[in-house]
Amino acid sequence: MKRIKPVIRKEFSHILRDPKSLIIIFVMPILMIFIYGYAISFDLDNIKLGVLDYSKSDISREFIKSFLQNKYFKFVEVKEDEKTPDLFEKKLKRGDISEVMIIPHDFSDKIKEMKSTEVGFIIDGSDSNSANIIYQYNEMITFNFIKRFQDLDNILKIHTKVYFNPEVKSAFFFIPGLVAVLLLMVSALLTSLSISRERESGSIDLIFISPIKSHEIILGKTLAYIFVALMVETLIIVFSRYWFGMPVRGDILTLLAFSLLYIFTGLSLGVLISISAPDQKTAMLITLLVTMLPSIMLSGFIFPLSSLSPVLRGFSNIVPATYFLKIIRGVILKGASVTDFIRDGAILLFMSIILTIISVRKFSKNRDRGT
Amino acid sequence: MRLLYLIKKEFIEILRQRELVFVMIVAPVIQVILLGYLVTTDIKNIPVNIVNLSSDKATVRIMNRIINSPLFDVKNIFIHNIDSLEVLKRGDVKAIILFRDNFDKKKSFKNYPETQILLDGVDSNSSQIAAGYVNGIIRNFIIDDINRYGLSPLIRGKPLIRFNPRLRSINYMGPGIVALLLSIIALFITSLSLVREKEQQTIDTLLMSRLKPIEIYIGKAVPMGIVGLIDMVIGVFVVVLWFDIPVRGSFFYLFLSSLIYLTAILSYGLLISVFSSSQQQSLFFSWFSLVTFILLSGLFTPVENIPKGMRWLVDINPLRYLIKIIREIFLKGNGIEYFYRDLLALLAITLVISSISIFNFKRFISK
Repeated sequence: MKRIKPVIRKEFSHILRDPKSLIIIFVMPILMIFIYGYAISFDLDNIKLGVLDYSKSDISREFIKSFLQNKYFKFVEVKEDEKTPDLFEKKLKRGDISEVMIIPHDFSDKIKEMKSTEVGFIIDGSDSNSANIIYQYNEMITFNFIKRFQDLDNILKIHTKVYFNPEVKSAFFFIPGLVAVLLLMVSALLTSLSISRERESGSIDLIFISPIKSHEIILGKTLAYIFVALMVETLIIVFSRYWFGMPVRGDILTLLAFSLLYIFTGLSLGVLISISAPDQKTAMLITLLVTMLPSIMLSGFIFPLSSLSPVLRGFSNIVPATYFLKIIRGVILKGASVTDFIRDGAILLFMSIILTIISVRKFSKNRDRGT
Repeated sequence: MRLLYLIKKEFIEILRQRELVFVMIVAPVIQVILLGYLVTTDIKNIPVNIVNLSSDKATVRIMNRIINSPLFDVKNIFIHNIDSLEVLKRGDVKAIILFRDNFDKKKSFKNYPETQILLDGVDSNSSQIAAGYVNGIIRNFIIDDINRYGLSPLIRGKPLIRFNPRLRSINYMGPGIVALLLSIIALFITSLSLVREKEQQTIDTLLMSRLKPIEIYIGKAVPMGIVGLIDMVIGVFVVVLWFDIPVRGSFFYLFLSSLIYLTAILSYGLLISVFSSSQQQSLFFSWFSLVTFILLSGLFTPVENIPKGMRWLVDINPLRYLIKIIREIFLKGNGIEYFYRDLLALLAITLVISSISIFNFKRFISK
């Protein structure tokens, strides 16, 4: 244990000697949170709606109005004499409108006679998820409209209550996710160069012949960066809290405790890559590939894990971000407590221990061979 | 003529790196297939709990519809009340569907349960879709049921889904993946090309030659452009054949717009290469740019609602235009008259990036 300290101290002087990289490490995550925090959103408002009203009656105008009274739909104005199915077809193809509503000419008569009538909705289905939501909106608004004429309210009683994010804004879904993705990337990047750098400069030989044991070197290299990574995290969370107004409902200490585990996982991953890669360039490339892509695609960052195919869902179980994402969203947005995530925390700890053990073994082997 | 020799040299350099050949030919096939499965974003198997406090027979039939639906993965069914907030906090289920007896005095002629949907709103997109699905299932059940008594809702929406009638998300994502692939390969390899020569100091040999700066520039860009186009063809075929995605529009414009985009990315890569002093730096910059290009391109999330202050970032993103054009060609079979504006915008951006890139390249060479 006593010999770990000098290793840590040595790594620290490495960090301090290279202020340029340190600045990048701190500035880049903030920049990314800033851009993506604004840019990534699923919110589907202002759906461009074209209307072909053949009924031209008070009731049909009321019906159209009920679609435009909320923020979901935006009316696309078309000149009266140009209102032909052809034109709407063109607009649909060009993407100027996403939906065309067609009201038949006998619409108002049928309703007055209390007979069933149909309204056509042509939806641009290219983006299947948006089309799905548009379809749901149609059904909901149409049904609410019928209630003025028919007493269906008592038959269909459905109340929806949304917890944790009552305004249903997707920004608060993405920002904690970004924290998870960036944190893993930064911590793995920090350590990924630590050993490959020594190998490139040849100073690794000095470490090989020193009396320090392999596990002490590996632990020292890992621990030295915990402090830096934790600072990056605090910075990201403070920025998200005060710039984007992300609600922090849970206990911040709980979050920090779990983050420590997660950072440790990222750092050990970086060390392992550093040992395995022949040079710094390769180490960096592998780190970016291994941390970025799976954390974005396989962790539930953008798309829910439940819609992945079973094989890919299996893979998602070995992605550290999967667990931390659950924790950070739980603690920040839902105010969940430590006990809710003991299992996830344990898995992260287990992962970092396994990674460290592999690193130590690999390092000792390299040491014996002197490469 | 001199230019040809340089192009030949660059080609040899690319082909000599075995792993690079692998990266360029085999990797695209694997990537396209893998990414294709990854970005299949149909929301299904939503994990839910059901709480049934109702005594209606109808409830059981509604529950069966939910259980048999591929949209939901019913984890547990309770017949007593549960602490919903705690369950949702843990995050194992996205929604809790609760059925109660309808105790309204003004009862209608038939008994249906009162339904409550409790949603975990964190993932706003999925929870909205989940709520919509439950609504739809129950509404359809009741409409089917009251139909037997000669009652039906006054207005029924009759949806017609265009361009992608089965609502397969891969039809939307697949073409985008090809664009993504094109960017990854072209950007990484070109951004490294010049820096590598700087690091190995072979750049001096190149500078001593009688080649004009613009010739060196073209010599660097053309081989990568050819490789990129080959990858594009591979990518399109893999996507079309493996995932069975229809191509309704013209291949000519598909390749024309890809070629323009490729020019933009190659110039951008060379620009990074000029400014970086080490391969590490150039990798880092390419990566950062690439992620920005992708996330702001509309590939994963819609870009229509991005706030005004950030809008320009989307408008100058060449990948956004390519993805829009490719999707229109694949899904809608649109001709040039529909996307000429996007094509012109892409062309303009490409010209600007190329000019900046060539200008800086010349300055770098003359130094």
